[in-house]
Amino acid sequence: MRQLALLGLVFAALFFVPFVVTSEAWQNTILMTLYAALLGQAWNILGGYGGQFSFGHAAFFGTGAYTVAVLQVQLGVNPWIGLVAGGLMAVAVAAFIGFTTFRYGLRGSYFALVTLAFAEVLRILANTVPFTGAGVGILIPLDQSAANLQFASKASYYWLVWAIALAAFLTVWWIGHSRFGARLMAVRDNEDAARALGVDPFAVKMRAIMLSGLFSGLAGVFYAQYFLYLDPAIAYGPAISVESLLVPIVGGMGTLFGPLLGAVALHGVSEASRALIGDLPGISLVLYGTILILMVLFAPRGLAGLVRRLSARRNSRETTNV
Amino acid sequence: MTDTKKTGGLRRREFLATGAAAVGLGITGFPAILRAQPAAVKLGLIHPVSGFIAFSGTQCREGALMAIADINAAGGIKSLGGAQIEAMLADSQGKPEIGAAEVTKMVEAGADGIVAGYSSAISLATSQEAAKTNTPHIVDVGVSDQIVERGLKNTFRFSPGYGKTAQFAVDNLDTINKAAGSPAKTAMIIHEESLFGTGTAELLQKRLPEKGIKVVDVIKHANPTRDFTNIVLQIKSKKPDLIIPANYYNEYVLLARTMRQQRVEAMGIYSVLGGAASSYQFVKEFPEAADLIMDCNHWFNPKSDVAQQRKAAAEAKGLIYTYEVFLAYNAVLAYADALERAGTTDKEAVNAALAASTLDMSYMPYGPTKMVDGQNEGAQPVNTQVQNGVIEVIFPEEFASAETVFPMKS
Repeated sequence: MRQLALLGLVFAALFFVPFVVTSEAWQNTILMTLYAALLGQAWNILGGYGGQFSFGHAAFFGTGAYTVAVLQVQLGVNPWIGLVAGGLMAVAVAAFIGFTTFRYGLRGSYFALVTLAFAEVLRILANTVPFTGAGVGILIPLDQSAANLQFASKASYYWLVWAIALAAFLTVWWIGHSRFGARLMAVRDNEDAARALGVDPFAVKMRAIMLSGLFSGLAGVFYAQYFLYLDPAIAYGPAISVESLLVPIVGGMGTLFGPLLGAVALHGVSEASRALIGDLPGISLVLYGTILILMVLFAPRGLAGLVRRLSARRNSRETTNV
Repeated sequence: MTDTKKTGGLRRREFLATGAAAVGLGITGFPAILRAQPAAVKLGLIHPVSGFIAFSGTQCREGALMAIADINAAGGIKSLGGAQIEAMLADSQGKPEIGAAEVTKMVEAGADGIVAGYSSAISLATSQEAAKTNTPHIVDVGVSDQIVERGLKNTFRFSPGYGKTAQFAVDNLDTINKAAGSPAKTAMIIHEESLFGTGTAELLQKRLPEKGIKVVDVIKHANPTRDFTNIVLQIKSKKPDLIIPANYYNEYVLLARTMRQQRVEAMGIYSVLGGAASSYQFVKEFPEAADLIMDCNHWFNPKSDVAQQRKAAAEAKGLIYTYEVFLAYNAVLAYADALERAGTTDKEAVNAALAASTLDMSYMPYGPTKMVDGQNEGAQPVNTQVQNGVIEVIFPEEFASAETVFPMKS
């Protein structure tokens, strides 16, 4: 319950950010950080709690994004309906990928490579079929109104991503405290042992990938409505898959706050490098890489693990002193 | 009685004399210091200076900075009391969302205008973000016609889009082919997969059959692609009379080299917005692969002294004078011209001035500048051909510096 209270406190504080931070540039930075945390949390459900490392979360993200864009532009469907449809289509794609991989017992690097391949197949499809605009991409007409899921202010977009992120974080909290979560973590730690104890790994992993796909798809819907333009490389390109897994790896996989910490650290570094070092092309990417190497070397459990290790060391020192 | 009264350590007479001298010197000797300096005009330059299109993005930035330096050296914006233009630099990293975020930051930091973004996808995002604050936005390089078809009042482009370029390319190809007795009957299009390559290829596929040229195949490739052997083998098997590439610099170079290595024989290689066909770097590094390649692309007016001077100035700085350099230069000039006519940095007024621009662009192979919905209708590409290591303009005739060589010698 302490964790839930802390989560509530963090998101309550985040809710009021647009009232305190009036600069649109800073609002945008915080918004993009929260969006990265959402992407990371979606991956964390499957990768962190389920132990199934996906290299192709762009498959879910892109499906969500293209669903809302295609429904809107080609069929005139309201984007609020597209928001729901985008999430559901991503769930459907996740179910398909999950069924075809888990059914045949793919694990570890095999699973990672297959997910990467699925995202690539979808990228090529989006690049070919006419209803996605193929290589030209798809442009959502600028028509700012709440009914159209387009807002004039950054604050409104911020609250939209805040709401989706809150749902994702609450889901992950529930996973951490539910029977389903216990089964999922058991599968992650030792699938054969979990099966021996009566857990159905296939069913558990299917639920995890579908939940993961849902939030990744919703992040895609948000992206489409925020930037109003998609092409196959943006929607299904490897950059989204990499960002999805980098955030929880840096922050702490399999932890509730890991993706948030990771997103804050990575975006913070990126912003700070640009502000402090100035306009040196590519410097933020160099720092990105350096941080990742350092994290893997010295904090393999991410920032959340580092915080836990440091507090454990402090506690043991206090105990020794007593 | 002697005057012994002191003022601040000086005798009164000394103080008065020094003060008078200082005032006099100030009025006559340093008028510029005493006059209030007009506030600098802040112009945001957003380009992908890192990432896979970093070379082109850096070229754009250098071109824009050259223009700013020239404008400032010539006395700044006269109607604003000689206000200097101050560049605000940002790297979009080749990502639309970062480009858009940089616009937000720049506008908050007081940017009066934006010049961006090299890629069509980035330009779509940056112009849309700038539209939210009505900030004037000039697209330097970005050929997608969607950029100026969204009805944004703040978005302008002085160079041609791919619709016009493809139409021009087909019409000129037809003229060149007919002049040679119509030997070319078939063509094959090899294009990159993003907006510019796909859009251009779609238009060519539609228009070429109207001119009696059958499109035997269209091959799309990813960015980056590092091995063109299979694509070139397909070209060899189809034996098209014309090969039409539309891709970025690196892929273009690799494709052209592989075609030479595999001894592909065609009547002509006719690029549309070819990433390297009109590049001095390509011609210098791979003269054999580049020889006799024709291109339909952005280019300067080779008969204009102003254009030649700018080329020489860029080369003196160590720059390769690619289209990115002069298109970004032109975009900044267009913004400065609008400021000059508006006499204010008020965004509404500058947008109106840009929309009414009739800027003399005789250093480009363009017709009179005429803005329609943010697009300069006078802008057009030209046909170039590499001949003996020199990039010559071969079409339209009024700008041509050499005769067309077609069909190519085997």
